[in-house]
Amino acid sequence: MNPFATPKPTDLLPTSTSLLYANLHPILLLSILAFTFPAVVADPVPALLGLAPTTALLQGLYCVLCLPSTGQSPPEEKRKGGEKRKAGKAAGSQDVWAKVVPTFLSLLLTLLLTTPVLTLTLLLFGAPLTTHHPQTLLLALHLALLTTPPLYYVHGLTSTTWLQLASLQVPIDEVYGMTLGACAGAWVGAVPIPLDWDREWQKWPVTVLVGCYGGAVVGKVVGGWVFKGARVKMA
Amino acid sequence: MDDGEPEPATKDDLKAENQRQSLQFKAQHGLVVCFFLLLLLFHGLGIYLFCSGFLLSRLVLPDRSECAVPPIDLPRYDAGNAEKGCWHPKSFDKAVVIIVDALRYDFTVPFQPKPGDEQPHHFHNALPILYETAVQQPSNAFLRPFIADPPTTTLQRLKGLTTGTLPTFIDAGSNFAGTAIDEDNLVEQLFLAGRKVVHLGDDTWHSLFPGYFEPNLTKAYDSFNVWDLHTVDDGVSEHLFPLLEPEMKGRWDVVFGHYLGVDHAGHRYGPDHAAMADKLRQMDGVLRRVIERLDEETLLVVMGDHGMDVKGDHGGESDDEVEAALWMYSKKRIFGRGSDVPATPPATAKERPVGQIDLVPTLSLLLGMPVPFNNLGQPIEEAFLSSSKKPDYGNMAAVSRVTAAQIHRYQGEYAKARGLEESATSTTATLWKQAGNDYADAQSQGSKIVDAYKAFAAYQAENLRVCRGLWARFDLVSMSMGIVLLVGAFAIFALFGQGLIGDRSTLAPLLLTWGCAGTAAGAVVGAAIGLLPDVSLAQTTSFGAGFCGIVATLVGLWPARKILKAPLPRSLWGGLCMLATLLLCIGFAANSFTIWEDEQLLFLLATFGVLFLGSSLGQSDPDDQKIGAANALSFLFATRLSSLSRLCREEQMPNCRSTYYASATSSTSASWQLVIPFVVALGLPSIVKQFFHRTRNYHGSAIIWVGVALRIGLVFVAMFWLLDAVDDNDWYPDVSKATLKTARVLIAQLVLALSFAAGYATYLWASPLLEVKTEAAEAETPQLTSELTEPDDPNSPIFTPFNEQPKQPKNKLIIFGYANAHGTRYFLLPCAWILALLLVQKPMGQGTLALCFISILNLLEILDANSLHRSPVGPIVLALMGNYYFFKTGHQAALATIQWETAFIPLKTLQYPLSPLMVVLNTFGAQILCAIAVPAIGLWKVPPKQPALLGRVAGNLATHVFFYAAVAVATVVEAAWLRRHLMLYRVFMPRMLMAVVSLVLVEVVGILVALVAVRWSIGSVGDVFGWPGT
Repeated sequence: MNPFATPKPTDLLPTSTSLLYANLHPILLLSILAFTFPAVVADPVPALLGLAPTTALLQGLYCVLCLPSTGQSPPEEKRKGGEKRKAGKAAGSQDVWAKVVPTFLSLLLTLLLTTPVLTLTLLLFGAPLTTHHPQTLLLALHLALLTTPPLYYVHGLTSTTWLQLASLQVPIDEVYGMTLGACAGAWVGAVPIPLDWDREWQKWPVTVLVGCYGGAVVGKVVGGWVFKGARVKMA
Repeated sequence: MDDGEPEPATKDDLKAENQRQSLQFKAQHGLVVCFFLLLLLFHGLGIYLFCSGFLLSRLVLPDRSECAVPPIDLPRYDAGNAEKGCWHPKSFDKAVVIIVDALRYDFTVPFQPKPGDEQPHHFHNALPILYETAVQQPSNAFLRPFIADPPTTTLQRLKGLTTGTLPTFIDAGSNFAGTAIDEDNLVEQLFLAGRKVVHLGDDTWHSLFPGYFEPNLTKAYDSFNVWDLHTVDDGVSEHLFPLLEPEMKGRWDVVFGHYLGVDHAGHRYGPDHAAMADKLRQMDGVLRRVIERLDEETLLVVMGDHGMDVKGDHGGESDDEVEAALWMYSKKRIFGRGSDVPATPPATAKERPVGQIDLVPTLSLLLGMPVPFNNLGQPIEEAFLSSSKKPDYGNMAAVSRVTAAQIHRYQGEYAKARGLEESATSTTATLWKQAGNDYADAQSQGSKIVDAYKAFAAYQAENLRVCRGLWARFDLVSMSMGIVLLVGAFAIFALFGQGLIGDRSTLAPLLLTWGCAGTAAGAVVGAAIGLLPDVSLAQTTSFGAGFCGIVATLVGLWPARKILKAPLPRSLWGGLCMLATLLLCIGFAANSFTIWEDEQLLFLLATFGVLFLGSSLGQSDPDDQKIGAANALSFLFATRLSSLSRLCREEQMPNCRSTYYASATSSTSASWQLVIPFVVALGLPSIVKQFFHRTRNYHGSAIIWVGVALRIGLVFVAMFWLLDAVDDNDWYPDVSKATLKTARVLIAQLVLALSFAAGYATYLWASPLLEVKTEAAEAETPQLTSELTEPDDPNSPIFTPFNEQPKQPKNKLIIFGYANAHGTRYFLLPCAWILALLLVQKPMGQGTLALCFISILNLLEILDANSLHRSPVGPIVLALMGNYYFFKTGHQAALATIQWETAFIPLKTLQYPLSPLMVVLNTFGAQILCAIAVPAIGLWKVPPKQPALLGRVAGNLATHVFFYAAVAVATVVEAAWLRRHLMLYRVFMPRMLMAVVSLVLVEVVGILVALVAVRWSIGSVGDVFGWPGT
C-alpha cells in the first residue's frame, strides 16, 4: 500500500444516537460558551478553567457516540442488514469500553501534547510573552479540546496521517472541518483586539476563544455537509 | 545537432550561438529594466499629483524682526530702544507664563446646566480662580477662550504660540535634522535682547529652543510618561516659587512654566474623573500662590496649549480639542474692555474667542519686543485698551497698525520667495490701503480712531483667512488625478505580475513601446491643455502623460490576451497572499489597525510560517520535508524573536513597552545591547555559509566575501557602535570626543567602501560558485548519465561526461554546486548590501535585521522545498517582511521616529546627498534588503539551463511591488477620504507618506539594484553552462 495514500473522509456511525448527538453537539458547544460568556469576560482564568471539563466531556461524548475509532473505520461494511443489530447487542459492554478507552487517551493526548504545542503556536502568533500566561495556556487548552480529540480518536497516531493532516492533504470531513474551522475561527478572532472600542470583551483571550468555538461549529457543519470530501488546493 | 558536421565547426557554431544568445539576453534584460522604469514613472507622476494636492507646505522665511527696524513709520514713537519698548511702549518688565497643558476652556468657567447635561462633571468648578479674578477685578485680569490651530499636539502648539504661524504638514526650509524652530520667535527675540529666560517643565521646549534658557534656573522634565501625574507638576512648582521671591529679582525676566498634570490626567483617566478634579484644584492652589507673590512689574499669563476630547486625548481638530483658555493677570490695573463687550468672561468657548497666534504680538508688544517676523496673529484688545472708563482705541490702533504692518512686510517677502498668485493677495492689498487711509484720516482730520483700528483688524482677519486657504486647503482635482494614476499603475502590476502565463520578458518590448508612445502623446496633449488660462501646466502634463501611458500599456496587453488571465488567486497560497494584502489595506482605514500594524504583520508572518511548516511536513521527498520544516521553524522563531524589539509610538501607550533603546525615554542603546553587533559578526557569516555550503556552493568568491570580507566588515560595524557608546556614555573621559568621532567616521567609511566597492566588485566579476574536479572515469555507465537528469538533488555532485567522444580517455568532470548555481551566485548581492545596511542600524536593529537576513534564506529554502517558485507567496512574504522589519528596526509610521542622527554615521558634517541617503538606508533598511532579495526567489536552486529565468524574475519583482502599490493606493485613497478625520495628521498622513515613499524606494531599489544586477548573475552562469534555448 502506498504510504502516501490519503485517508478517506470519515463517516459518522450510522446509528440514530450518533446522528442525534452529532447534530446536538454544535448547539451544546455554543450554548455552554454563551452561558459562561459573561463570566469569561469578567474574569477569564477561572471561567475558562471551569469551562474546560464541560468541553472535554462534550467532545468525548462526540467521539464515543458518533465517530468510528482508529482502525474501526469500515464497521458498517461488515455489519449489514440484520447482522447489524445482532452484532451491536452482542458486543454491548465490550464495545463501550473499546470506545471509552481511546476517547480517554485522545483527551489525555490533547492535554499533554496538543496543548503545549498550541501554547507555543499562540506565542509565535504574538500572544503576550511575559504576562497573561494562564490566559494563553487556557486558550490553548480550549483550542486543543476543540481541534484534536476527534482527530486522535479517528486517525490514531499514525505519523504519515498526521503529516498529511498538518499539510492539509486530507479530504475534508466533519472532524477535520471542525479542526480547521476552530483554527480559522481563532485567527479571525484576533482581528478585533487592536480596535480602540474600549470594550471589556476585547481583552485577551475572549475574542479568540469565541472565534474558536464559532469556527469549530461552522467548520463542523460546513465540513460535514458542504465540503465533504473536498481537498485544499495548496499551490 | 547534426552528427555529420566536423567537430571544430560545431565548437565555433556553439560559441557563436552562445554569443548570440548572450547578446539577446542582455538586450531583453535592458528592455525589461526600461519597462519597469516606465512603470516607476507612472507611480512617480501619480504620487506627485496626489501629494501636490494633499501636502500643503509653507515656506519658512529666515528673516528676523529687528528692534530698530519697525515695519512702518511710527509717527509718535522712537523705535529701537528695547528698554522702553522696541516698536511700542512696553507695559511690563517681566512675565510669568504658565502653560497648563490641555486646559480646556470649560474647565475654567462655572458650570452651566444644559438640557441633558444637568449635573456638573469632575472637571467643572475645580479651577475657579481665573473666572473669579476676571469678574471681580476686571482691570487686573481677563479670561477668554483661546482657539488652537490643529494639529493640537503640544509641539505644534508651542510653535504656534511662539512664532505666530499656522501649522502646515511640512514647513519647507526647516532644518534637516532635529526639531528646533528656525524661524523668528518670541523666545529667541527675548534671548537676543538679553532678557533672561527661564523654563520649567515639559522638555519639548528644549528641543524647540535649544540653548535659549538660563542654564542654572531652568529645569526640564520628561513629558513622555503620561501615567505619571505629579513629577512634572511638583518639579515646576518646586522651582517656580523660589523665583518669585524678592531676592531673585534681576536673575530672570521671563519664566515659562509648563504643567503637564492636567494633560496626563486626561490621557490616563479622561476628564470626567476624580483625579482630574484633584489636579485642577491643585492648579487652582498653585495659581493663587503665584498671585500672592507677584509684584507690580510682572505680567502673569496662564493658558492651555490645547483642549482634550471626551476621552482626554488630543491631536485632532474637534471643538473640545481646540478650545483652550487664556487668562492674563497683573497687579497693575491695566486691562480694559471694548465698549461693546460684556463685563463677564464668555460662558462658552464659542463666544469672543481669540486665536492662539494672537498671543504672540500681544506678549511681544507688552514686553517691548518686536513682533516676530512670520507672525499672523493680531493683538488682543483687553491688553491694550487700558483700564480707564473710556477704552483707549488710540493705543489699540497703534499696536494694531504696527502688527498689521509687520504682517504686510512678511507677506511681501513671502510673495517674493514663492510667487503668490495675484488673486490671493488682491483683497488684502485693498484692505491694507483702506486701513492706512483710515489711520491717516484719524491722525489728520480727527475722524474716529476706532474705525482705523477696525480696518487694521479687518486686514489681519482677511489675511489670516487667505493664508489658511493657502496652507490648509486640499486640492481635490489634483488628488483625484493622482489616485487615478496610482490605481492604473497598480492594475498594470497586478496583470504583469500575476495575470500572465508564460514568459513575461518577451512581452516587455511590446508593452514598453506602447507605454512610451502613450506617455509621449499624453504629455503633448496635456501640455497643450495646460497652455489654456487658469490651468496648471505641470498638472495637466503629468496627468496626460501618466494617464495615456497607462492606458496605452494596458492596450499593449491586448495582443497577449491569449496568455492573460484575471489576476485572482487559484490556490491556498495565492488566496492567503491576497487575503493578507487585502486585510492590511482595509485596516489602514482604521486608526487602531494603523497604529498596531507591527503586531498585525507579526500575526500574518506567523500564519505564513505555520502553513509553511505544515506544508513542508507533507512533502513526499524526505529531504524536502526535513529542510522545509527546519527552515519554517527557524523562520517562525526568528520572526517572533525580532518582535521583541519594539519602539512604541505614542498612540500605543500604555499597552506597549519600548525595548529598542536603553529606556523608553532615551535614544541611546543600553550597554547590554552592544553585545548584539558582536554576536551578529560572529554568527551571521557562519549561518550564511551553511546555506551556501549545503548545496556545495561555498567556493571561490563566496569564501572571500562571506568567509572573510563580511566577517571583518561586521567586526568593524560592531566596533563602530562600541565607540559610539563610549562617546555617548563618557566611559573614557580622557579620550577626547574629537578622537572618538574621527575614529568612528573612519571605520564607517571603511565599512561602506568595503560593502559597496569591494562587494560590488566581487559580485560583478565572480564566476559561478562551483568547484570542478576531474576524475578518471572507470567506465561509462548508464547511471552517470541518469544522474544528469536529477540536478535538483542539492547534495549530490553532478556527474557530467567530460567528452562525448568514446575514443578519448575516459575522464569525467565532477561539478560541485550545480544545483544552486544561479541562486548562490545572485545571493552575493544581498550579502554585499547587508554590511552597509547593518552599519546604519542601531545595535538592536542590527540584531533584527540579521534575523531578517536569515529569514530570507529560510524563505528561499522553504519555497524550494515546497516547489513554490512560481507562486506569489515568495514576493508577498518578502514584502510583508520588509514592512515588519521596518518596525523592528526601531521605526514607526510616524515622523518622530526617523533616526536623523544616522546621517552622521560616516560623516562629520552634513553633506548632501550622502547624509539623507544614510537616513534612508537606516529608515527603509528592511524594505531595501527584502527588495534586493526578490530575484533570488526565482533563481534559488533552479538548474543552470532553466529557460525564461528573466521573465520569472520580472514577474516576482512585479508581484513584490504589487504589494507596496496596493498599500499605497489604499492609504492614499483613505487619507483623501479621511482628510477631515481627527487622526489625519497623527496617523493616516504619516502612514500614507510611508507607503508612497517605500513604494518608490522599493521600485528604485528593485529595478536599479536587484533587476539590473540579475544581468551579471544569470550572465556568468550562462557563460559557463551555455544559454538555454529560448
